[in-house]
Amino acid sequence: MLNKLLFKNQDKKQLIIAIIGAFMGITFLITSIHYLIRVNEFGEGADILGPNTIIVQKKVSNSSTLGFARTDFSKNEIQKIKDKPFIHDVKPVIANNFDVSFETADPLVPRFRSDVFIQTVDPEFLDVDLTNWDWKEGNDFVPMIMPRDFLVMLNTFMSASGIPQISDDLAMDIKFKFTLSNNSDSEKEWVDARIVGFTNEVASILVPETFMTYGNNKFSDGTEQKITQVMISGEESEFGLVEEMLEKRGLETKNSQMVVGRLKSMVGTLFLVVLGISVIAVFVSGLVLIQYMQLLMTRNSYEVRTLMRMGHHPKKIIRMFFLYFVKIFGVVAGLGLILFFIFKFFLDSMFANGGLYIGTSVTIGSISALLIAYALFAFASYRTATKGIFNEY
Amino acid sequence: MPKPLASIQHGEKSIWGNEIELNNGKKILLNASSGKGKSTFATTVFGLRNDYEGTITYDDVDIKTLSVDDWTEIRKSKISVVFQDLQLFPKLSVKENLLLKNSLTDTFTEKELLERLELLEIENKWEQKCGLLSMGQQQRVAIIRALAQPFKWLVMDEPFSHLDEENTQRCLKLIDKRATDINAGFVLTTLGDDHSFNFDQELNL
Repeated sequence: MLNKLLFKNQDKKQLIIAIIGAFMGITFLITSIHYLIRVNEFGEGADILGPNTIIVQKKVSNSSTLGFARTDFSKNEIQKIKDKPFIHDVKPVIANNFDVSFETADPLVPRFRSDVFIQTVDPEFLDVDLTNWDWKEGNDFVPMIMPRDFLVMLNTFMSASGIPQISDDLAMDIKFKFTLSNNSDSEKEWVDARIVGFTNEVASILVPETFMTYGNNKFSDGTEQKITQVMISGEESEFGLVEEMLEKRGLETKNSQMVVGRLKSMVGTLFLVVLGISVIAVFVSGLVLIQYMQLLMTRNSYEVRTLMRMGHHPKKIIRMFFLYFVKIFGVVAGLGLILFFIFKFFLDSMFANGGLYIGTSVTIGSISALLIAYALFAFASYRTATKGIFNEY
Repeated sequence: MPKPLASIQHGEKSIWGNEIELNNGKKILLNASSGKGKSTFATTVFGLRNDYEGTITYDDVDIKTLSVDDWTEIRKSKISVVFQDLQLFPKLSVKENLLLKNSLTDTFTEKELLERLELLEIENKWEQKCGLLSMGQQQRVAIIRALAQPFKWLVMDEPFSHLDEENTQRCLKLIDKRATDINAGFVLTTLGDDHSFNFDQELNL
């Protein structure tokens, strides 16, 4: 009866417009947050290098070949790159300043030996368990991250030798050995090594910094260590600026790293725009709903006043208005969630067809955004209802 | 003394400016001409306005100190009112108007409400919207609604202004019986007519 008295015979045009606005806003809010998170996650875990990380070096030109231009980075140059707002961090890639050779040391694998180039990077840029990424003198083996191309080469070699090819996991069980020596070959040392991960982005073998320092201290001929590569991690969705900076400074990187970064920035920006519009839509439609509640209370001021004079408690009437509107918003949020799942079904397959294999599970962020929007609306509804009813008391 | 009435000359016996006490169970006539404050009296003792000087106490408690919870309880089960403008819900039926009040305390059954409508000869209006009733019929509905709760006091502001003498007597009889049954008192405001009822006390404004 109270519902009939307060909510029947109302002009629902404004309510319907607000509901449609809130429905669309909620749908796009959840969708954009979900895909913003998923796109930013894209590429994480695919490589041992952290997300949004690239290795850059200076472009080799004729003048640098002739010795007129430097190909190494000064500390000042590194600091200038680091100072850019879209750069998260910059660290030098340190290379060996001594001779290193690498060979298999496992009875199950045919002997394979090669002179190699090893490098070390700050562990902050690597997606590895740091407890395994450590070495000190006396340890059983040196952990190393291998270029995936090395495994391809090893498998080619195994195949040619009539031995079955090996997987990533099996490769991590093979024993290897480094031979460290000085330029004159007068000093030598052998150290066991194991693969702990693979990378598509680095062409050399990565080792812990402590091992590199140990080798450089013990076997270097004393010449100055030059930094020819630096590792850069950029801020999310700002890869265009990173790319522009690289171009301006005559730096280059592996194209695949740039493509992923560019793609993530582009799609991320697109969803950020949709997110912005969605937030505005939800906010405006929420305001229209609240305004409609105020209008409804004003139109029912006689009924509200009389009910309270009859002995109905103001809190009971507040609860009625509050529940009426949070139920409406709840239905809108539920319908928005259903439409999001329908969108998601089509968008996920569209992304997959386009070669973007993003996570398909629902992100906590998108559901949290829905809950936050609902909680804010519920709070605003309660405050408005309380104020409106007590104005009539 | 209500502030809007402060500029009007009131008689020596007027309750405005004097101390009066309304004792439980008394049937009181509040007699005054237009503009002397009959409706002001009804709405003030019901806690709807507080633009007055002096003190009104209910069970020794200053009514200005009562909380929302207190007033809700008082309006639900201690003081009932028939307003001059009746304050019915015109879009709801007679049944809905009565049940909306009765549901707060479950004072009467639907059958008992119908019996009271029958006594006032409007039982055929049970399902009709109040907005479609005549003023006299609406007054009778408002009186039954006011009775559909427990009360210590029933305040009625010119409740028979649109009723003929016969219907007035029927209403007065119903009110008197209900008040006597629950040992309650009532205050009836009129423009001078005592409706041949034997009141315990008469107040002037």
